[in-house]
Amino acid sequence: MNLKLKILWKCEKFVKNFTNREKNGMILGKFEKANLKGGVGVIQVKNVTKKYGKFVAVDNISFEVKDGEILGLLGPNGAGKSTTMNMITGYIEPTEGTIIVDDYDMSDKPKKAKRQIGYMPEGVPLYTDMTVKEFVTFMAEIKKVDKKNRRIKVGQIIEQTGLRDVQKKLIRNLSRGYKQRVSMAGALVGEPKVLILDEPTVGLDPKQITEIRSLIKELGKTHTIILSSHILSEVSQICQRVVIINKGKIVAEDTPENLETKVSSKNVVYVTVEDSENKITEVVKKIKDITNIKFIKENNDNTKQYLLESDKDVDLRKIVFQEFAKDNITIFELKKEDATLEDAFIKLIEGGN
Amino acid sequence: MWAIIKKELKAYFTTPIGYIFIGVFLIAFSVSFYFTVIGYGNVNFEYIYYSLPTILVLAFIIPLLTMRSFSEERKTGTEQLLITSPLSLTKIVLGKFIAALIIVVITELCTLMYFGIICYFGMPHITTALATFLGFLLFCMAYISFGIFASSITENQIIAGIISIGFFIITWVFPDFNPSLDSFSFINMFYDYTQGQISIESTVTFVTFTIMCILLTLLFMQRRKSVK
Repeated sequence: MNLKLKILWKCEKFVKNFTNREKNGMILGKFEKANLKGGVGVIQVKNVTKKYGKFVAVDNISFEVKDGEILGLLGPNGAGKSTTMNMITGYIEPTEGTIIVDDYDMSDKPKKAKRQIGYMPEGVPLYTDMTVKEFVTFMAEIKKVDKKNRRIKVGQIIEQTGLRDVQKKLIRNLSRGYKQRVSMAGALVGEPKVLILDEPTVGLDPKQITEIRSLIKELGKTHTIILSSHILSEVSQICQRVVIINKGKIVAEDTPENLETKVSSKNVVYVTVEDSENKITEVVKKIKDITNIKFIKENNDNTKQYLLESDKDVDLRKIVFQEFAKDNITIFELKKEDATLEDAFIKLIEGGN
Repeated sequence: MWAIIKKELKAYFTTPIGYIFIGVFLIAFSVSFYFTVIGYGNVNFEYIYYSLPTILVLAFIIPLLTMRSFSEERKTGTEQLLITSPLSLTKIVLGKFIAALIIVVITELCTLMYFGIICYFGMPHITTALATFLGFLLFCMAYISFGIFASSITENQIIAGIISIGFFIITWVFPDFNPSLDSFSFINMFYDYTQGQISIESTVTFVTFTIMCILLTLLFMQRRKSVK
């Protein structure tokens, strides 16, 4: 009897030890995983290709999105932005390559991978004969939000996206801006780590655009966001990193600021002068730094605009101001050309051709 | 899956489709009721189900029920919401299928009032009536699954509807072309039930045909994912 008890007690101890060890191990495992995630992107797109018959829509694209980052996918219409996004969300399958969302491979474990993603598709598809609340609740149901918390979570999201006033209206009767918000609310349901927004500001008026933009910025604090757009100013305002796609290939991948400096290679100044005796060409010849002068137009008030170019990295404005003053040429306007993201974009795309 | 069923049922009853299905079927049923019960003094419930008006009307209203299920989602793009959700394709397709089936069950329950009238005035054969209920459900199930399949292959609701109507009529008139095609006619299989016999052969045919159509739908949806 005693022996039996002893054995039992030992067994129990062994089991306890064993389970404890397992628990510790699991905690350690989680910790390691968390550490690893700092370096590896939440979304990894690896050598992804999509072909429609012979047409290659996306050609061997690879990029990563880090945790908490706002990434902009930029490109002209038909560049493959939406196709790329559709592949990341699992709506279509890539012909080649793998997509990993939060450590889950989209083709192996689609359920777990899809849970991490909130998708706002292009053109804002919605069930128009539902009310806003019904729609958000439906999205919560198909994204498997707990039944207990569902009502609270839906309420929170409606509040967050500013839809409380219209929550009982049919979606069909809402304005475009509100529809966009409803679609955004649908993407936000289920606490996804990653938000994928396909052209979120298309078709909105300027006020709505700024509202949606600030909403995206707000969400960027708590989510990883991929955003596609062909409006460059938008991307440079919101995104921390930009991937430019053209004809299915990545043309450039950098921060908006770096892209801007990359393209502003030449030193160009626009100058508008009152110069009745046409002395400007002679004056310009005296200044060594200026390599080229080009007449642009004559204004109504008899002033003329010229473009001055220099190869060197000097501030032409200072020199021009001093030299022109000596020869009695009055400067009406003097401005440096700044390279915008627009230029970067066009340059990169034309370079690709 | 429950979420999809609920959403589909809501859609059936917030749009006129659900009411049209039930209403039109009941009108045809009433016509048939008038001729068999009042005209001939016949109290066989199965004769009302197995009659020209009901079958003829079914050819048009079952496609009406199923034609929008996937084509509309694809056209408006809401399909993206479903496919990118953690729900599996199987659950989405089954959800839509079951929702349509529930509408048929509701319709059958509505016909119980005719059964009540007959029971009050006469003595219908209850087991035959029950077999007819089951047969009718299986019969509709087969056509619903085909309708959903038709709707999954095209973006256009009208085309999906016409394909389903065409299929219904072709399988209806098969025996008229050649008696050897008799076993392809679902109506003939349904006839077995109205005779009070639950034939294993017919039941298996209905069930396997349904499974086949659902699998085909899944196959097409899956293929579109890699081709589209």
